[in-house]
Parts: sequence; C-alpha cells; structure tokens
Amino acid sequence: MTTNVPPLQPIVDKVDTVDTVLSPTEERVARRGQRLSRRRLYMRRFLRNWGAVAGLVILAVLVVFAIAGPMLTPYTYTDVDFTNLASAPSTMHWFGTNGTGNDTFAQTTHGLQRSMIIGVVVSLLTTLISAFVGAAAAYLGGTAEKAILGVVHFLLVVPSFLILALISQKVGGDWKVLILVLTAFGWMLGARVVWSLSTSLREREYIQAARFMGVSSLRIVLRHLIPNIGSLLIVSFTLGVVATVQAETGLSFIGFGVKQPDVSLGALLGDGANTITSAPWLFYFPAAMLTLLTVSMALIGDGLRDALDPTSHSAGRA
Amino acid sequence: MLGYLLRRSLGWLLMIVVATNLTYFLANFFLDPRANYLQLRPPRTPGQISRSLAEYNLSRDTPLLDRWWHWISGIVVHWNWGYSPVGESVNSQISFRIGVSAQLVLGSLILSTLIGISLAVYTAARQYRFADRFYQGVSIITLNTPVVVASLAVVLLAIAFNQSVGSTLLFVAGAQSPTVNGFWPLLLDRVRHLILPTISLTVIGYASYHLLQRSLLLDNINSDYVRLARAKGLTRQSAIRRHGLRTSLIPVATSVAFAIPALFTGAVITETIFAWQGMGQYFIQTIGKNDIHGAVAVAAFGALMTAIGAILADIAVVALDPRVRVN
Amino acid sequence: MGFPRTAPVLSVRDLAVSFPSEAGRVDAVRGVDFDLCPGRTLAIVGESGSGKSVTSMAVMGLLPEYASVTGSIALNGRELLELDDRQMSKIRGRDLGMIFQDPLSSLTPIFSVGRQIVEALEIHQNLDRDIAWKRAVELLDLVGIPNAAERARSFPHEFSGGMRQRVVIAMAMANDPQIIIADEPTTALDVTVQAQILDVLRLSQAETGAALIMITHDLGVVAGVADEVLVMYAGRPVELAPVEELFARPRMPYTIGLLGAVPRVDVAERRPLVPIAGNPPLLVDLPPGCPFQPRCPVSVPGCGDREPELTVVPGAAVDGHRAACIRAHEIRYDGRAVNCGGRIDGRPVYPVPPAPDAPAAHVPREQRPAVLEVKGLSKTFPLLRGALLKRRVGWVYAVSGVDLDIRQGETLGLVGESGCGKTSTLLEIMNLRPPQSGSIRIGGVDVAELRGRGAERQLRRTLQMVFQDPIGALDPRMTVFDILAEPLQAIGEADRTAIGARVDELMDLVGLDPEHSDRFPTAFSGGQRQRIAIARALATNPSLLVLDEPVSALDVSIQAGVINLLNELKATLGLSYLFVAHDLSVVRQISDRVAVMYLGRIVEIGALDEVFDNPQHPYTQALLSAIPVPDPVVERTRERIVLRGDLPSLIDSASGCRFVSRCPLHVTLDVAQRARCIGETPELTGRGGTGHRNACHFR
Repeated sequence: MTTNVPPLQPIVDKVDTVDTVLSPTEERVARRGQRLSRRRLYMRRFLRNWGAVAGLVILAVLVVFAIAGPMLTPYTYTDVDFTNLASAPSTMHWFGTNGTGNDTFAQTTHGLQRSMIIGVVVSLLTTLISAFVGAAAAYLGGTAEKAILGVVHFLLVVPSFLILALISQKVGGDWKVLILVLTAFGWMLGARVVWSLSTSLREREYIQAARFMGVSSLRIVLRHLIPNIGSLLIVSFTLGVVATVQAETGLSFIGFGVKQPDVSLGALLGDGANTITSAPWLFYFPAAMLTLLTVSMALIGDGLRDALDPTSHSAGRA
Repeated sequence: MLGYLLRRSLGWLLMIVVATNLTYFLANFFLDPRANYLQLRPPRTPGQISRSLAEYNLSRDTPLLDRWWHWISGIVVHWNWGYSPVGESVNSQISFRIGVSAQLVLGSLILSTLIGISLAVYTAARQYRFADRFYQGVSIITLNTPVVVASLAVVLLAIAFNQSVGSTLLFVAGAQSPTVNGFWPLLLDRVRHLILPTISLTVIGYASYHLLQRSLLLDNINSDYVRLARAKGLTRQSAIRRHGLRTSLIPVATSVAFAIPALFTGAVITETIFAWQGMGQYFIQTIGKNDIHGAVAVAAFGALMTAIGAILADIAVVALDPRVRVN
Repeated sequence: MGFPRTAPVLSVRDLAVSFPSEAGRVDAVRGVDFDLCPGRTLAIVGESGSGKSVTSMAVMGLLPEYASVTGSIALNGRELLELDDRQMSKIRGRDLGMIFQDPLSSLTPIFSVGRQIVEALEIHQNLDRDIAWKRAVELLDLVGIPNAAERARSFPHEFSGGMRQRVVIAMAMANDPQIIIADEPTTALDVTVQAQILDVLRLSQAETGAALIMITHDLGVVAGVADEVLVMYAGRPVELAPVEELFARPRMPYTIGLLGAVPRVDVAERRPLVPIAGNPPLLVDLPPGCPFQPRCPVSVPGCGDREPELTVVPGAAVDGHRAACIRAHEIRYDGRAVNCGGRIDGRPVYPVPPAPDAPAAHVPREQRPAVLEVKGLSKTFPLLRGALLKRRVGWVYAVSGVDLDIRQGETLGLVGESGCGKTSTLLEIMNLRPPQSGSIRIGGVDVAELRGRGAERQLRRTLQMVFQDPIGALDPRMTVFDILAEPLQAIGEADRTAIGARVDELMDLVGLDPEHSDRFPTAFSGGQRQRIAIARALATNPSLLVLDEPVSALDVSIQAGVINLLNELKATLGLSYLFVAHDLSVVRQISDRVAVMYLGRIVEIGALDEVFDNPQHPYTQALLSAIPVPDPVVERTRERIVLRGDLPSLIDSASGCRFVSRCPLHVTLDVAQRARCIGETPELTGRGGTGHRNACHFR
C-alpha cells in the first residue's frame, strides 16, 4: 500500500471470537425458552454502542447521497462550465467549481460512488480469497500448508506498494483494473490471520470428530472451518473497506490511481491540495465525504467486533 | 541465539535478493525511459535516445539479460545501484534521502509509541468509563482519517496559526531553509520544519498502538496472574503496571518493529504534502520519471527494512519474554 | 463434635453478590452466612455456578468493579466491604492468602518465581533484598521444591503444574496469614500430585496456624481436609455441618443426592449411580420458593412458597447442623450411617434405579468375538525445542508396545495420569493408518491392509468416538439435526427422510426430545450436549465406541446420569467401549476390565475387581491410594502411598522400568534387585492364568 495505512493485523487479531460467542449465563438464558436468539443478542449489543449506530446512520446517508446526488444537479462530473472557473460555492454550483470549470458537487458524488464501489468490491474479494486460502492452508497442513504460507510470506516481502504503483501507472486510471490490482496484493495479511486462527480451530474436537467420521477435507473446510471464523470475516470485511478506500485515496492522490476523466475522492483531494489556500472548497467537500466514509465504516466494524465478542461487557451495570 | 539470528538473517537476505531481482524485471516491463526523451525539444531520433540511454544501461537495444547482468554485477562488485535516465546516481540520491526520512520517521515513531502506550495504560484502568470511551473514540477517528485529509488539515491549521501570530513560525514545506547559518539557528530551523510533519505522522500513527495495547492490557487485567498479584497485596493499579503491562508489551513491541519499514517507505503522502525529499517522495519520483534503477533500489530498501523490522521484532520478543529463550 | 467456642477470625453475614448481564441481573450469591474460627478448615462445596468461588472472591475483594456486593464480611471484627482497593491491598497477602485453581496461568510468566515470592514479602514487610530472597528460598524449600536456592531463579514455565502450585502456596503463606483461601487448588492436577499438594496445604496451615477455606467440588477432598462443610446450591448455602455429620447424616435432599451421585473407588458392589434429575436453575429472576424444588424427589407443595432459611435441624445428632429444607427434620437414618441412606416415611429419598441387564455378558468372554485387537503398538513424536526455531532434540516415546483386546459387549477402562500416553493410543486407533510399529485390528480387519476410501468408510461405521469436552466437540454453528446427520451423510446416506427418522430415533435413545433437534448446541446444558455427542457416535450403529474422558467435564450430579446412560446403551445395543479416563472411581462404575498406563506402557491389566481389590503393580497401588474417598471415616484412617515427584517426561527410551524414579517399592529392594529394575524392561506377566497381569519384576 502506498499510504501510511497501519497494517490490518493488529485490528483483526483481536477477533478470536470464533465460536463461544455467548457467556455462560447468556447461553443458559438462551437455553431457557430461547428467549434471546443469537442474532437478536448481537443486534442488541450492536445497537447499544452509540458510536456504531452513528456510523451506520452516517453510512446510510452517504450511500443515499452517492446514489441520489448525481440526479440532484444538472451537471455531470465531466461537464465543464466555462463561465464559472474556480468559483466558490453558490446556488448554481453548490460545492463550487474547479479550475477547469467542473462542478464539484457532481464530481464529489461521483467520486464517492467510485470510492465506495472500489472499497466494497476489493474488500469482499480479498476477504473471500483470504478466508479460503487461509483455511485451506490450515486444514490441509503438511507440504500444502508450507507451500501456501511460503507464497504468502514472499508476497508480503515483495514491495507490493511499488508493484501496485507500477501497474496502475502503466494501465492508467481505469478503476476496474485498480480493483484487480488492489485485490491481487491485498489478501495476504488476511490469509495469514485466517490461517493462524484456523490452526487453533483445526485442533478443536468437532473438527477431529468430523475427520474421524470420515467427512471429506473440502467439506470440513466449507462446513466447519469457514463458518466458525465468520465473525472475524465480517469484521475484517468492514475494516478492509476502510483500508482499501485509504489505499485508493493514497494512490489517486499521488497520481497512480483513478485518473482523468474519471474521478475518485482521492483524485479530487489531489487537485484540492494544490489550491488549498485559494480554493479551499475543493479540499473541504471531498475531504469531509472521505473522512465520514472511513470513520463510519470503522465505527461499524468496531461495533460489530464488540457485539460478536463473548468477553465484551457492553452489558452495562447492575 | 546468535546462530539463530544469523540463520534468520540469511533467510531474509535470500528473500531480499529474489524480491529485488523480480522488481528489476517488472520495472523493465512497466517503465520505459524512452518516454522521458520524447517531449524534449528539439526532438531526438530513436538512435540518439538509445545511445543516451545505453550510457546508463537502460537502452532497450541491449538484451534485457545483458542489462540485468551489468546491473547486478555493478551492485555486487562496486555497490553501484545504477543511474536514472538523466544520469543521476541512485546511490547518492538514496544516501541523502535516508537521512531526511529518518528525521521524520524516527521522531514520530517514538512519539506515537509513547503516546499510544501511555494512553492505553490510562484508559485500560478506566475501562468503559467516560475517559476510556472518549479517548477510544478519538483514536478510532484519527486512525481512520485518511492520511491526506489529516495532513492537509494540519497544514491549514498551521497556516491559520502563522497568520494569527503574524509570522511564519512553522514551515509547511521543505526540510530546511537554504540560507541559515550557525549551529543554533540551523537547529531551530530544522525543528520549525520538522514540527508539522511529525505532528501529522503522530496523529495518524499513535492510535493503532493505543487500541492494540489497550485490548492486550484488558486481556491481561483479567488474567489469573494479575489476580494473583492483587491477592498478594498489590493494588489494582500497581498489579496492572508491574505484572500486566510488561507481559502485554511483547506484541506491541513486535508491531512497532514492523512499523519501521512501513513508515520509511510509507510516508509517501506526508512527504509529498510537506515537500520533504525523503524515500517516499523518491519512490513517486522514480516511477513518474521512468527511473528503473531508482525504483528497484527503493524496492530493495523496502525489503531490507521489512527484514530489519522482522529481526528487531524477534529480538524484542526474546528480550521481553523468558519463555522463548533458547537454552 | 461441636463448634469450638473461640471468637471467629472471619465472620460473613448475609453476603450477596450480583452481576449485570444481557439476560438481566445475575444473583450469583444470595445470602451467605458463616463463621471461620482460627486454625479450622471450612470446606465450601458445590457444583459449577453454585456461587462458591464468587464468595471467596468477595472475601478477597477481588470481584470486578461492576459486581455489586452487599452484606457484611468482618475480619477480626473489621468490616472489609467498606474498604477501598488501597486499604484492602494492605490486608490481602498479609491477613488473607489465596491459592487459585490453575497453577499454569496464575504465575506471571516473565518473572522468576523467586522474584515473585520476594515481591509478596516486600509488599507487606520492610525487608532487605538479600533477606527477602533468603526467606523466599526457605519458603520454596518448605513447600518441597528440590534445590530451592537454584530453582528460585527459574521462570514459571520451567516448572510442572504441581511444582507451580507449590510456588503459589509458598506465596500465600509468605506473610503468615490468618486465613488461606484455596479455590479448587487441586482440580487442575493429576491425582498423585493432588495428594502431594493436599499434604503441602496441611503443612502450610500447620506452619502459619491459619484458618483454611477450601473451595472444591470434590467430595473426596472435602472428606479428607475439612472440619466443617458448607454446601452451596444456586448461590445459597443449603447445608452446614461438621464433616462427619454431613457425610453420615445429610439433611438436605440436594446433599443426599450429591453423595449418592459420586462414584466410589472403594466400593466393589456395582449398583447404578443415583443421578439428580434436571439442571441447576438460572440465577436470573429466580422464582420464589426453594430453588432445588424442581429437581427434588421429595418436594411437597409447601416448598414453592418461599425459600427456606438455613436453620438448625431439630433433632440432629450434633448441634450446629443447619439445613435449608422444610422437610429436613423428617429425614431419618436407621442405625448404621450410610451415604445417601436417608429415608422419609420409610422410603429412601432417592430410589436406586435398576441395573441394566446385558445379554452379552452371559456368554463367557473367550467365546465372544474381539472387536479390537492392538498388538505391540508404538508411537513416537519428534521432540522440538525452542519457541522461535523448532529443532528436533530427541524423540517422545508416547506409546511403547501396547497390547490390548476388547471383546464384544465389553468395556475396557484405560487409565493413567495426563501424559501417560492414553490419548495417543486412542488417536492411533482412530486414525485408521498403519501404526509406526505393531498392528491394530478392528472387527478382525487389519488397518494396515485398508485399501481405498470405500474400505475406510466401511470401517469407520463400526468405530466411533466421544470426546471429553461436550462444548468443543459439537460445531456451534450447526443445529443438532445437522450434527447428528453428519456421520450418516459421511457414510453415503443421502435420503433426507431416512436421516430425519434416524435423528429422531437417536435423540430418543439418549433421552432427549426429538422436537429439539432444530436447536443449536448452545441451547443445551453440558450433560445434554454430551448426550448429543453420544447420539452422534451411535448414528452409524457402530460396534465399538471410543470414549475419551466422556464425563470428566461434567458436574457430579449430571455425570451420574451420563454414566448410567452409557451402561444402559451398552446393555441394550451390545456395544463395546474403550473408556479412557483419569478418574478411577468413574472407571470402576463402567468397566469390565482395566488397563493402567504409565509413561506409554501398560503396567497392569486385568478384570475390574481383581485390579481394584488386589492391585499388584506399585504404581497401581499408589494411584488407587491417592484417590480421595468421599467418606471422612475411611479417608482419615486409611494408609496412603504418596508418590514423590511428577510424571517424568517420555524422552528416555533406555531399557528398564519407567516407574523406577518414583517407585516406593524400588527403594526397599537390595542392590541386585535395583539393578534389575534399571537394566531390564519388565514384561506384562501374570500368575495363575487369570488374565490379571502386571509389569513389575517383583510382583
């Protein structure tokens, strides 16, 4: 990654919730008449965390804004208004215009859309890949495990940020290629985390039991291992969106990501940075959107982790 | 122990060599130095371009393997990492930039670690109280604020600050002013340049240590041995400090060690915004200017830093944890 | 024996503790009263969740901040609940010493044990460093750490579990406390080590003159150490009595049930255990009335009115016998004092269920076919050193030349302490791979000759396993239906209706409601989950069930039900069991034959009663004598062989008897005989052709 993004590992490492998701008392309450189903319990815990709820609300607003925004303005993100060059926000151009006369509102909503799509797709793909690779390595063991881990470790040493920049520099600004490239170099850390969790799961008795019953390896990975790291995957997906958006922003900011005529929030910030004193609105609006997006996603991820964590005391006081 | 470290280092060295050579071929595939000459006026003929490039071992007319051999033997025999398409020496660029980056990176790393750990100790002892929730909220926000936004916000604040005091106290660009002489004035000048980028790196960096250390400490606070320490007669606070903190420092130390390489090459955006000529900025420059040798050198440097980080992490673990000492 | 009349050192009144939870307020402790006199030992007994540990934590002031604690705890008349953490820390460690359950996690891993004891001394005494260190070494020596001066510099991970618990005890007694609280101090330890630790505890009590609060679920331990016993149920004390009275004439139906549910190693008569029906209540929104009422066999309508107080039982044999039961005075004991012999209106409180009749047992053993034959089985692992760099420094001889056979309808109990190789043996059998050496035949099929997945699948049908931990053995993300269907699908059954019918049948077989098969495992209690695990193992109609400590994770009252179920299934389905356990009293309840393992070898094997009543090998003798018997009279008079040291590691492959380092017989032998012990590996040999064989040269 080209940005100062901290490694994903310390964030997701904590989610070893795996299976004993209920404390003994809650479990026994669940037993008695099924008063609290697991899902409702998670929901309750999540909703009690105001930060997470705020994050959810902000995200919902952003999604609506990204979808509906382009319909609210007569301009598209490529339209140029030669009568308004670098003009401040007005009734005609709500967020102002940039030096070439593009409408910043149209560009910001479009950029938000771009960043969201890239973030969600890349995070989804990397989570899936890392889940499958990590779990398979852990379950298969032996030479297969060694080989897979060897590849993962080597890819971690290879300066992926540089290769990323090289490739996106060459293929030039297409967001679909950017998704492929970010995915290709984004799954290794996750796979390692999944692997280390799965190795402890592998020793669980229900996995052994399945093996002794003659259940096939593929089935054990799909039916037993992956479902039981589900909570980790959910959390790492949300935090993966944050990491991807940050990475995309960084790449686009320094000119290696999404390029003209397409725009993303990172690219907009790159423009805005140059005119930060003369035309600050070019910085303010994309910066606000971007920060709201990453922080709301992070708050949701944090709330999910807390809600899925058996040791959490979010229950409050007696 | 030494033997173990030696073997680990050899393993890492092998990885670095492989990774560097891989990057060399990739860079040759993706970067074309001829492009640098195309905009020149008067226009050069392909022959002229090729001749100029051949001087720096970059001509496409020479077979790739020959160029590679020339390049690698230059490194092995003379420790010469080659030249940019316009003839700047990679060695001199890097040796100058490492110093610049180090100023930026080490200061903020130390600050981030100290602030992160102290905040963690403070908040973990107050779990779920207001102070804990407040600082945790702040940390989640700063951790997830995009670097670009955070750095530019620092710049805006600094400009406002300079305007309010009426003089340029804090410099928003560059590592030093060109026209300062004398030891003390020079030092002061450096500090005035250093403050803003250090602040912005620290703001985005401390939070991960805070959150990691806090959760590890909380795990430890509920551990049997902290409970036993309290049963011996330590107060909750001193049991956490004496028995909980040191044990839970191990993973944090590991993650700090691993952060060093990421910081050196990762401070790209900070260096760009504050116009520091460090390794990160060099990295953008080499790719932007089709500087194959420069880009490969950055890659090698990055891999080396990763290796150093990993070995430092090993040493930290051994120093802090008696359980892993090899007898 | 009455209560001594000295002033109590600790006096607890109406102690109540509650915690917040998702489900509402959990009332973990609801009104505990007791007095502890100097030098006395009070045992607090109860099953998991009964509030016994929470009570001790409340006394120590170590409950989490979010717990609410009310009532009174007075130490020498000083109210402890009013003190803040700083004031309380001056009392903890000086007046109150504490020993926790798990010695492996209770020492700080990064400090040497000497340093940790020095810390305990320096907190409360103004000592010179050197003097403190000397004192620490003395303490380590006192609790039986060999080479104490040298070992004080070692880190916790360099000690075994038993040795670490000694260190914890040394710490607890460092400042001569007035009270030592031991919370399940031996639960995590092997039985031979448990005997040593109980001795050390007695010693520490003698050295310091402290009163001891012993918190345990093990009635055998209680019988050995306690002066008075407090029985807790659902957060309340339900019976308080001097130890002999409590064991001889319990007055609360719960206590009577508990005593009846404990398997005993010293009773040859094989009668089914008496389980207590149902499960303990939730401590959230308890209904009024006696919390034991739903499980109580002698409850009357009046029980539901209000919760009975712990009051003196009218007409009890000793004064100070208190019970919380409105029918306590109706319970009678005829002449002889026998466990669980309490009667109401001439009928026993707990009727003994009938013993199942096994048709297979009527055929002589020799004429029944063998379902499992193991010959000369060996298994070695590479021994790796170094946490960062794994390097092989030797071999672990986990299993060496084990011979076993199990006939149809027979249960072989495989017993031994942790690390003796019993689990490795079992996994070797379950893996269905050719062993490193020796042979395994299952139902007459040699596993080395298995070809292809089809043949392996066929053999897997006949061989199933039940694991120790009923929580870990069931995938929490699958419904019970899916869990039970999995083995059927694994053998190729695809018909949903056939599977559905079989699942219902299985649920019924293990005594669960088939309607509940759409629930997740977390919706069931521990005992019910173990029943599900047994049902899963039975799904494919196996002939041999391998049971790995199937009841050791369960509470006594629940365990009895599972043991009875296993005995019943064996009788009705003609199953054979390989029953692996460390608890010899459980083995005595369920086995037909027993094999005792020590360091990878079988040291004694034979018919159940022959081995238990006439043990030959010195290790078997020591093991049997180390098991506490839940009867204070027997427990305090019988002679005990306490083994020295811990189980050595399995690295040594040299010939000779592996028990030599701890053998009580070896030290009594003459030089030539000793040389034979060391130089020559003893074979499993028997006398008189009874099939009772042991591996000792001199027995």
